[in-house]
Amino acid sequence: MLQIENLHAEIDGKEILKGLSLEVNAGEIHAIMGPNGAGKSTLGYVLGGRPGYEVTAGSITFNGEDLLEKEPHERAAAGVFLGFQYPVEIPGVSNVQFLRESLNAQRAQRGEKPLSGAEFLKLARAQADALGLQHDMLKRPVNVGFSGGEKKRNEMVQMGIIDPAFAILDETDSGLDIDALRIVGDGINRIMRRPDKAVLLITHYQRLLDYVQPDRVHVLADGRITRSGGPELALQLEREGYVGVGAEVAA
Amino acid sequence: MTLDLPSNREEAWRWADIGGIAAAAVLAPIARPDASFLDLPGAKLLFVDGVLDDAASDLHRVRVGDLTPGTHALGKRATKGWSLHLDEQAVAHPVQVVHIATGGDNHVAAEIVLAADTSAQVVETFVGAGWSNRNTRITLGKAARLMRAVRMTQGGGFVSIRDEAELGEGASLVATTLAAGDQGVRIDAAITLAGEGGYAEYGGALLTRDRLKQECAVRVRHAEPNGQSHQLWRAVAADQSQASLAAAVEVARHAQKTDGEQSLRGLLLHRTATVNLKPELEIFADDVKCAHGATVGELDARALFYMESRGIPAPRAKALLTEAFVADALDRIADETVREAFAADADAWLESAL
Amino acid sequence: MATKNAEAHAAVAKKYEWGFATEIEQDFAPKGLSEDTVRYISAKKNEPEWMLDWRLKAFRLWQTLEAPDWAKLNVPPIDYQDAYYYAEPKQKKTIASLDELDPEIRRTYEKLGIPIAEQEVLAGVEGARKVAVDAVFDSVSVATTFRAELKAAGVIFLSISEAIREYPDLVRKWLGKVVPQRDNYFATLNSAVFSDGTFVYVPKGVRCPMELSTYFRINAENTGQFERTLIVADEGAYVSYLEGCTAPMRDENQLHAAVVELVAMDDAEIKYSTVQNWYPGDENGVGGIYNFVTKRALCQGRNSKVSWTQVETGSAITWKYPSCVLAGDGSVGEFYSVAVTNNRQQADTGTKMIHLGKNTKSTIVSKGISAGRSDNTYRGLVRVAPTAENVRNFTQCDSLLLSDQCGAHTVPYIEVKNPSAQIEHEATTSKISDDQLFYAMSRGLDAEAAVALIVNGFAREVLQQLPMEFAVEAQKLLGISLEGSVG
Repeated sequence: MLQIENLHAEIDGKEILKGLSLEVNAGEIHAIMGPNGAGKSTLGYVLGGRPGYEVTAGSITFNGEDLLEKEPHERAAAGVFLGFQYPVEIPGVSNVQFLRESLNAQRAQRGEKPLSGAEFLKLARAQADALGLQHDMLKRPVNVGFSGGEKKRNEMVQMGIIDPAFAILDETDSGLDIDALRIVGDGINRIMRRPDKAVLLITHYQRLLDYVQPDRVHVLADGRITRSGGPELALQLEREGYVGVGAEVAA
Repeated sequence: MTLDLPSNREEAWRWADIGGIAAAAVLAPIARPDASFLDLPGAKLLFVDGVLDDAASDLHRVRVGDLTPGTHALGKRATKGWSLHLDEQAVAHPVQVVHIATGGDNHVAAEIVLAADTSAQVVETFVGAGWSNRNTRITLGKAARLMRAVRMTQGGGFVSIRDEAELGEGASLVATTLAAGDQGVRIDAAITLAGEGGYAEYGGALLTRDRLKQECAVRVRHAEPNGQSHQLWRAVAADQSQASLAAAVEVARHAQKTDGEQSLRGLLLHRTATVNLKPELEIFADDVKCAHGATVGELDARALFYMESRGIPAPRAKALLTEAFVADALDRIADETVREAFAADADAWLESAL
Repeated sequence: MATKNAEAHAAVAKKYEWGFATEIEQDFAPKGLSEDTVRYISAKKNEPEWMLDWRLKAFRLWQTLEAPDWAKLNVPPIDYQDAYYYAEPKQKKTIASLDELDPEIRRTYEKLGIPIAEQEVLAGVEGARKVAVDAVFDSVSVATTFRAELKAAGVIFLSISEAIREYPDLVRKWLGKVVPQRDNYFATLNSAVFSDGTFVYVPKGVRCPMELSTYFRINAENTGQFERTLIVADEGAYVSYLEGCTAPMRDENQLHAAVVELVAMDDAEIKYSTVQNWYPGDENGVGGIYNFVTKRALCQGRNSKVSWTQVETGSAITWKYPSCVLAGDGSVGEFYSVAVTNNRQQADTGTKMIHLGKNTKSTIVSKGISAGRSDNTYRGLVRVAPTAENVRNFTQCDSLLLSDQCGAHTVPYIEVKNPSAQIEHEATTSKISDDQLFYAMSRGLDAEAAVALIVNGFAREVLQQLPMEFAVEAQKLLGISLEGSVG
């Protein structure tokens, strides 16, 4: 589904990703772990197409198409969902309006019919219920006045509504207490664990992986994948730290 | 006497008391009042009706002589005065200037030029009666710092000051003016942040009573990126007086990342008084943080009652709350001796006005 | 005596009619502005003598005035002699079908979601008028039921020319009372040469049964160059009036100088909403309307209320300050404004809230959005008179900048002469953050849709003041006005 080959990327002239390669197949959940500053969030932003992140070499292919050629909204329409580490506040725009416009813009790009207000509300409420988000939160402006945990839950509600083929979830576990973590974890499994979907979990800790069992675990250090393995690698990281598995940042 | 000043129809002179200036300029002579310097080291200059009193002055680095008049309607009248030039690495003691007016009009120019990395402090005091008019030109080199405090405590007449300042890269100007006497006031200033990362604080407090009119008309221009400016003004108006605060921030086309703030607050002590506010933003750059707040009102009745119920007499309670209102502006004065002297002037004014 | 005057007037009018015989056939007054022009207009409209005298007084006053010196606006000199001041509503150039329409305009109609039939009317498609009006508004029948319903309620709603003839006492009582002839240069000019406009009177205790708006989009095409509107809401009456049109309005008259006067008596409420989308000129600022409008409300009665809501997206230059004189104790004034400027547009708009009565309240919410090389200024005044006890005002002015070549300015005046007043004013300036844009785009919106969404959020407080169906169009309009403003 996703092939990343020898990816080099920089911000303000500073190289962050230095030849990263990764392949994710449909039906798989991959976890990217690594120390702070290794380039984990950069990988998420490059996949999402955030301006200011310049790809200097390498390629990203998604379902056979060149992802780097696409604008951020075209990537969304192609089925890529980026769950933000720090979801952005948009004053005056309600969650409902934001998501309905987003979803219908994606549907239009795929040549599908837009959802009516009623159809959309039904869908949004169901997803909110599944993630324990109060309905009135849907009417509130996007992320404005939300706690850290509510913002993350809201990201998952968005993912449920948009129902993407591929999700990159950047530190979705940060700021969540143990109950919220379980709810979010269940949400990821429910929405994304399908034979035709895949997930890239970007995380610093093992704890989310207790709820969302990864098929593959990769260690990202100094802009490259330095080790890959099965779920046991995450446990080893938890026990021995990044230095123990040879993932220290090169001086 | 014709003064050749702009009329109130001109936007920048909308709330100016032209008549008050004219009346002050022809005030009959009075006996020379006492005036003393604050207990600070450094230069001490005493001007009586615009003329230096040599015997009572101690110039240090300050020079006295002719200065080029500018073109400003007020400033151009002053052709003689004092100047302070600091070369790089120079260390300066504070400069105190006391202006005594004994009727009629007097005009003094000043020039403060600070080279890179130098700093200076200037404190000015106005006493007496008549029209005292000052024109001060300030040039701050890279990372130079000037702290300026001006108090206007004349018993009558009018004090007008025109300040023109140009701040170099990373330079800092902190100016505080207190008008707490029984004179009309116009504080007219054009501050330009001409270098990157300049910092300007220009504010103060106007306390007016009787039929006096006091105003500030200040314009801070951000010409380069990353500058910061704060204009914090407080106005208290009693009796039939009028206090007007016009503060403008201008951000030039490429002066990105500017942080410009204005806080203008007015307090009316009597129903016959007037407060006018005009916080103006003129912005030509898109990545800036510019905000202003302005309020007018009276003292918080609940706070007054609370204090009275604890045994504080009403006038004292009012004075305390008003002092607190004014203190915001005077707290910007860094030197403790100066700040306390200014606060004492403000308190004395409030005690007698309330 | 009166009869004599009337006769004299008729004779004069007649003389001018004859004098302009050839022009009458063409139905417009000769170019230029003189007393003859004023007399011609008055005569064409069969106005009573007092009306002609009123116009002439204004004209003579206007001759003594000088054109204003603009604060933040850059206005090229206007040649008042090089214009026509009266023309019968011209037959629109007709086209055979919408396919012949300028594709730009067609695209805008579609984006606004205006029904095809209504598009045809707006575009002047031959033969479409009747059918379309029937289809959209059920034309004559709706107009008839509409008029009948209003009449049953006692609401007077007609053109100001008709009102001058049919309700002279009412018109004479209030015309020029809120905006005096000498108020400003353009108000004086309007008083002399106003062509037509609207008169509304809502009698005591009547709640106008409908928004005076639905009918208006069709009527709007006849909007004149010098409109005059007078709305009087008597004790306890309520009326909501909607002016303008979201569809792009092209007009050959470059100068528009309307005057709107509102009067609210005890417990009356007037809600006046405007959507202004006159031709703004091209990207280089060529062409475009100068829109110099004087709008003022007199809250004469106790507990009366006037609410102005405006969405200003059009015109090359906009100069308007819908204001409230809060004379009645407990009266309330509101001003909600969204002004969008793009390319080379200039907008200088805001409000005046003049607090005279006790316990009067005002709220000002202004949202300025600047893009391209445009300039957008909020200019406002809050004045509290010594007599006005317990006044409350809250003002919020926010500016959003979408380019580094535009300007956003805030010039509020606050003048308070009563200590019991509580006046609060806040202003902010911001831009759309890259984070917001990327977040919205990563959810599937393209750059323009993302900007439109964020701008609508920014303007939300104002848009929600508009009547429902209009708010939806206004939202789309904001997006359309900003097209091409994102790099």
